[in-house]
Amino acid sequence: MAQASPAPNPSAAGAHQGVIHQLRNVSFSYDDGGVLAVDNLSLNFVGGESVAIVGPSGCGKSTLLALLAGFANPTAGEIVHTPAPAGRHPMTMVFQNETLLPWLNVVDNIKLFFRYNKGAESKSTIEARVRDLIALAGLGGFERFYPHQLSGGMRKRVAFLTSVAPLPRTLLLDEPFSSLDEPTRVGLHEDVLKIVRQYNMTMVLVTHDIAEAVTLADRVVILTKRPAQIADERVISVSKEEPVLEMRRDPVFLEVYADLWDSLARQIEPAGVRAPSPEVAK
Amino acid sequence: MSRVRRRLILTAVQVAVVAAFLVAWQFLPDISFLSSRFHWLDPFFISSPDHVARKVYDISVGHGPITVWRYAWETISSALLGTVIGMAAGGIVGLLLSNSRFLSDVFQPIVVALNAVPRIALIPVVVIILGPTSQASVAIAVMVVFFIAFYSAYEGGRTVSSNVMRNSILLGASKYQMARHLRLPYAFAWMMASLPLAATFALLSVVTGEILTGTAGMGQLITQALAFSDSALTFAVVIILSIVGIAVTGVATLIRRALLRWWDSTLT
Repeated sequence: MAQASPAPNPSAAGAHQGVIHQLRNVSFSYDDGGVLAVDNLSLNFVGGESVAIVGPSGCGKSTLLALLAGFANPTAGEIVHTPAPAGRHPMTMVFQNETLLPWLNVVDNIKLFFRYNKGAESKSTIEARVRDLIALAGLGGFERFYPHQLSGGMRKRVAFLTSVAPLPRTLLLDEPFSSLDEPTRVGLHEDVLKIVRQYNMTMVLVTHDIAEAVTLADRVVILTKRPAQIADERVISVSKEEPVLEMRRDPVFLEVYADLWDSLARQIEPAGVRAPSPEVAK
Repeated sequence: MSRVRRRLILTAVQVAVVAAFLVAWQFLPDISFLSSRFHWLDPFFISSPDHVARKVYDISVGHGPITVWRYAWETISSALLGTVIGMAAGGIVGLLLSNSRFLSDVFQPIVVALNAVPRIALIPVVVIILGPTSQASVAIAVMVVFFIAFYSAYEGGRTVSSNVMRNSILLGASKYQMARHLRLPYAFAWMMASLPLAATFALLSVVTGEILTGTAGMGQLITQALAFSDSALTFAVVIILSIVGIAVTGVATLIRRALLRWWDSTLT
């Protein structure tokens, strides 16, 4: 069953014991202050939760993720990360565009982290983990295939496994499935839910797909038009135990979907755009 | 039209075009109306297919004073050595510059300026330094191939997408590891893609150098043929050079394909 409720105040969530990433009054400008992309935004991420960030196109969702990953520094405010526990890699990311190395086969792409970090794990541990991940993502039999021999969905699965193989504490996803067709995307959602839960990862997902956000996240943050500020925040209590397609047929899922769409629509068109019929989410 | 049928028709038309050219070359000079009006139709200038064929056979098997393979080997070995040295040097410099913004900013304009210098104008300088030797031929080939390899490796190293770099940063790669595991394979791939072109240019530049300086090789043979006004020999050398050129390009293409199966598949 699903349930959506307004999220607690971000600053209140900050008092939570498990906060691992904290954006404190963060602003960010492009072009030496010419374009303000993020404006005085505060947001906390609790260890083990899955957060989806949605918002109008060009609102600064990906910029927020880049700031969190450390690819850019805030022009004002600060981002605080607590140290990752011993044995956990701090953070990895799955990108929207292709990041697989075309000259490496599936297994070698998944092992990229271990190429960069010799001795991080024993050889047998690496082999066992890669075997488990390949089995979980249904890529058995394709271990020696090269990226150009795989479908778009399979390549995306391999990219996802490359990012989860180090067992990161936090997994960032920047609209990673937007180029895929709906059935492939649903299949990938199943993989993400399984693997993120099994390896106890914190997930931050940037997406423009509300159904994807409700499927994968425990909490959805809706941003305003640029410069990004938090417009709305909802806790999603959808049971992630049932298969994704079952989850999406649940009337409460559709209700949450419509509710979030209404909230997003207010950001896209302040005059009021009607939410699509719940069938859109199917 | 089936593919086989289309291929057969294409081959038939190609054979017909070549045959028509050879027939015209052989028999047009015999038409007095034409030979009286166009003095270059004289076999003294353009020889004839049967003479050229006989000459190709003679210099190939060593009938007569000239055996072509001794000259051909000089040219081919200089071109190959020049290709290897030029590819390695150009590749290393291109990779280094693609890896360092500072080095790139300092040296890239210098390399662009050097590339703008016509290589043929530098041949006399090379010959003054090294003499009319096979080393001079190699140096001339290196001058040409270096820039092809440099630009390929430089662009290849810089084409690594920012997301691929960022992905590796988050996976814990050091600057050296990103150069070794990301830029180097891309630079190598681009370099290998230019190998057939580089090998052809090396051959071309070595022959040009031999013609201009009289260094031993196929170019020297052409110079000799010109000195004796032996047009059949000139055409015979050109034909053998073309065959050598096709073989060199073919081998280079095979090497590229073997090394870059993933690259070709990405492009198609």
